[in-house]
Parts: sequence; structure tokens; C-alpha cells
Amino acid sequence: MKFFDHLEEWLVTFLMGAATLIIFVAVVHRYAAGMAIPGLQDWLLSLNMTWAQELTIIMFVWMAKFGAAYGVRTGIHVGVDVLINRMGDAMRGKFIVLGLCAGALFTAIVATLGAAFVWENGAHYFFANLFGVAAEGTFEGPTTPDLEWPTWIVYSAIPLGTSLMCFRFLQVMVNFLKTGELPHHDHGHVEGLEEEAVPLDNNPYAMNDNLHPHDLDGKKGGKP
Amino acid sequence: MNAAIIFTLLLVLMLTGMPISISLGLTVLTFLFGFTEVPLESVALKLFTGIEKFEIMAIPFFILAGNFLTHGGVARRMINFASSMVGHWYGGLGLAGVLGCALFAAVSGSSPATVVAIGSILLPAMTRAGFPKSFGAGVITTSGALGILIPPSIVMVMYSVATNTSVGALFMAGVVPGLALASVLGGVTWYRARKFNYPRLPKATWGERLAAFRASAWGLLLIVIVMGGIYSGLFTPTEAAAMSAVYAFFVAVFVYKDMKLKDVPRVLLNSANMSAMLLYIITNAVLFSFIMTNENIPQALADWMLGNGLGMVTFLLAVNVILLLAGNFMEPSSIVLIFAPILFPVAMKLGIDPVHFGIIMVVNMEVGMCHPPVGLNLYVASGITKMGITELTVAVWPWLLSMLAFLGVVTYWPALSTWFPRMLGVM
Repeated sequence: MKFFDHLEEWLVTFLMGAATLIIFVAVVHRYAAGMAIPGLQDWLLSLNMTWAQELTIIMFVWMAKFGAAYGVRTGIHVGVDVLINRMGDAMRGKFIVLGLCAGALFTAIVATLGAAFVWENGAHYFFANLFGVAAEGTFEGPTTPDLEWPTWIVYSAIPLGTSLMCFRFLQVMVNFLKTGELPHHDHGHVEGLEEEAVPLDNNPYAMNDNLHPHDLDGKKGGKP
Repeated sequence: MNAAIIFTLLLVLMLTGMPISISLGLTVLTFLFGFTEVPLESVALKLFTGIEKFEIMAIPFFILAGNFLTHGGVARRMINFASSMVGHWYGGLGLAGVLGCALFAAVSGSSPATVVAIGSILLPAMTRAGFPKSFGAGVITTSGALGILIPPSIVMVMYSVATNTSVGALFMAGVVPGLALASVLGGVTWYRARKFNYPRLPKATWGERLAAFRASAWGLLLIVIVMGGIYSGLFTPTEAAAMSAVYAFFVAVFVYKDMKLKDVPRVLLNSANMSAMLLYIITNAVLFSFIMTNENIPQALADWMLGNGLGMVTFLLAVNVILLLAGNFMEPSSIVLIFAPILFPVAMKLGIDPVHFGIIMVVNMEVGMCHPPVGLNLYVASGITKMGITELTVAVWPWLLSMLAFLGVVTYWPALSTWFPRMLGVM
């Protein structure tokens, strides 16, 4: 499980960094290829970087889907919690569970829709061919414009990422029912006045504000 | 009727405290499933195409750049430069805080990030220098809001995504109102500091100023890269965002050396976490605006407004009230993504400039960030100063009131926003 968590973090970190580098290289390439440096220019012109934009978008879609799942685990998703944060622990607990159920339900529906879409747009054909089963009425599915990758592979971010997100919602719910605690936003707090450096983990969207439900124990939450 | 169903559903779901993205998505699914004949497959398609726009990718890039700048010592050098320039006037460090926030806002696209970057360095210094805590907190909480008005700005990218307005034009349009608001906030700071006789810094010599400028030049150069790059057409806004992320990384790790190479993955992960949260709201908000358009709700609203003879003045007043109210419950990105698709078509029918309308929305968001019950800046400032929210709310009042007055000016004086981009010829 720990390994699984780390894998998710690595994937998201990698996609973020790599996408930034790709766009940087593409822009540098575009201008460097315009400069008349003998030898270098010909080599640069022979490189085709038109795929960069498409690849970045794909990487960010993957990052967004898996990052959203990671976000459930870190409790970053913002909501309107003004009302339920004013309720007593028992009432708030019920609403928190309801919210987590709603999250799990929505992501489950989306994952199913996404899986069906991916299946009909090429995955069926691919797997049928892979296992040598004649699949009548299936087709190869479209490919992306520049990279010419099959779109079903690109789009499988939706069923995969969203299923993971659904799993995370359930995981958070089980944990909440057991301990009464939600994923902690505490690491988002800026350290006291003495410390001048900004802590690395600081995240303005992870404060103990009314955009997130408070924990049940009443100590960490409390009224704003 | 359908509009009533949609909004009641959304409101009820949101008030249960579930994530905004989930409540938007569930509203759409319930409505499509229960009340229309629209096939669910079209939803599936929207899920894929929702964030497949290169323009949207500016958001993660700007967040990443902002995080590198926050941790990379850029903010500290900007504050030093600012205090060497204005520290000897009334307000001293407070005034330097306003200027520092304005400078940092010009390289960062987020308000809470600006509060963190400037506040966590300047607020302790102000307390040590003998300023009351509440004064410093008030200055930084409100000046931090400049982060989304002075370009680059994540909220402006959101607005452009929701309404197809040019990001470049919006960025340019934010410059003059941003400088104006900085002057207003600086004015309030100066006035209050003079009234209560707060400490001033000794006047810096021009040599010291030059040294401070040279130290902060690496950060300030980023303003030229982003704004110059977009204006001259060297980069698209998204490319400019990616360039600034790489540049900020380079400056933080190799030039200022305030960040170690081993910290980079953490910053990447943190930025990805926040970006993914915002992108997830966008995906679902795109779905939501799809059913709004499908049900012709913005159109109906526009016809109703025109039919009742309600003009631009009333409409803009209503927009301000609605957005300020929404600011009590939601954070800026969600508000823009939900309300812009509804209000924008009406604004167009009334002949309001799309860019001007965008600036009105952004200034509204700024006000919303500085007052409770939901105000990101307020909570960040409370985290830094360890002051309670109630105490902080009292502390920001003078600046918040001047911001409200400024909102009025921005709303009814379009030239303030549109003059600069018109002059540059980007709109």
C-alpha cells in the first residue's frame, strides 16, 4: 500500500516536471532554429517539435486525473463548508460521510462511463487482436493528430485515474469512520513568527478554513 | 423551471460540504439523467475534451512558477528592494509590504501565494520593528490580493477559459487597475501610519538602492519575460507560464541557491496537487456550463433583463452583489468558473466590454479573499501571525473599505481597464 501511494506521488511529480521541460525545450527550439548558426541550425531544423504541445496536454490530463486522486488523500479539494462547520460533531460527521459517499458515487459513475468510452473507441479492438479473438463490429479507434497515438490509451487516464479517486474517497471514509479524522491540512500551516523561511509544504489551499470540513475531535477544527 | 431545478440541486449539494467539483458533476449527471433526453455519451465526450485546451495548461505552470519563487528567496530580495525605496516614508515597512506585494504579484498568479511569500518574511520583521501585529496583518492580507489583479493571474486564465476572452488582453488590462489599487492601499497605509506615528526606516542611499535592485534583478527580470514575451508575441501565455516556471527554478536553485535540488520534487508534487484540484473543478465546471447553454439559461436571463428595461448600471450592480455574496462561501476559481458562463452572455448583450467585465470579476474576487467566513488570504495571514480570524477581520477593515470603493470605480469606469490594452493594440 505504501509503495502504491509513492507510485502515485512519483507519477504526478514526474508528469508535472516533464511537461514543463518539454514546453521549455520546444520554445527554445523554435527560436534557436531561427538563428543562423552553421551546422546547428540544420540539425535543429531537422528536429520536429510539433508534437510537444499535444504531449504536454496529454501529460497534464494524466496529471490532473491522478493528481485529483492524490488530492482526495491530502484533503485539498475545496467545498462550501461554512454551514457544516457550524454544526455539532454528530451532525457534521453525517454530512462529511455523505459528502465522501457522493464523491465515491460520482467518480464511480464517471469511471464506468469513461471505461465504456475507452472500450468502444479502440480498446476492444486492441485486446481482441492481442488475444487473437475475432471481434466482429469493433474498430481500431481514432489516433491523436500529431503523435498518432491511439486515443483510447490517452483517454484511459479517465477510467484509471477516476477509479483511483473513487478508491481514495472510500479509503478516506473508512478512516474517518474509524478515527473521526480527515486527511490533515495541518502540514499546510505556516510556522510561527520566529521562522522566516517559508516551509516547503506550505499550501494556501490546505488551510483549516471554511473550504474544508473540520475534524470531529473539535480540537483541531473549532470555530474560525 | 429547469433553471430552478439545476440551481436548487447545486445549492443543496454544495451546502452539504462536499467538494465543489463533485457537487457540480452530480448536479449535471442528475439533471441529464432525470430531466432531459441528452445522451450520457455526450457527457463522456465532454469529460475528455473538458481540459484539453492548451490555454488551460497555463494554470499548472503559473502555480509551479509561483511555488519556486515563494521558496527561492525572490520574495525576500524584492522586499529588500522595496524597503530601500519607500521605507523612509510614513508607514515604512508597511509601505514596503504593499510595494513588495505588487512586485511579487507581477511574477506570481495567485493571491494566497503572495500573502505567504511576502507575509512570512515581512510580518515578523514588522513586529520586531515595533508595528502592531494587526497593522502588518491588515496591510499584507489586502495587498496580497493584488496577486490576481496584477498579471500574470490564475483567476484571469480561469475567466478566459470560461468565456473565450484573450488571456493576453486580460493580463494587459490588469496592469493599470493593479497599479491603481496598489496606490490606494499604499495611501491608506501611509495615512494610518502617519496618524498613529509608526516607525520609519532610515533613508537608504542611492548606492544601497542600486545594490538592492541588483540583488532582486533576477526576480524582476521575470516580469519582463512574461509580460514582454506575451505582448511581443514571442510566447503564448501558456508558453510564457512554462518559461517562467523553468526560469524561476533556475533562479531559485542555481542563482540565489535558497532552495536545494532535493527540494524540487516536493515543490513539483505540491504544485501538481493544487493544479489537479483546480483542473478538476474546471472539468466539472465545463460540464456544468454545457448544460447551462443546453438549457439556454444565460440567454433567458439576458432576455429577461432586457425585457424589464434593466440597463448596464443595474446589471453591474447586481453582478457585484452576487459575486460579493458568493465570495462568502467559495474560493475565487470556482466562483469565476460557475458564474462567468452565466453572467457573461448577459454582459455581452448589454454591450459591456468582455475584458472590462473580466477585471470587474477579478476585483470582486480580491475583496472576497479578504473577509470571512471564507477568505483564503485571511486564513493564510492568520496562519502566519497566529491571530484569530475575528481579530484579523477587524484589522483589515480600513483597507477592505478602500478596496470596496475601488471596486465601484473599476465597475463604472471601463476606461481604467481598457485604456492600456487598447493603447498597446492587443484588443
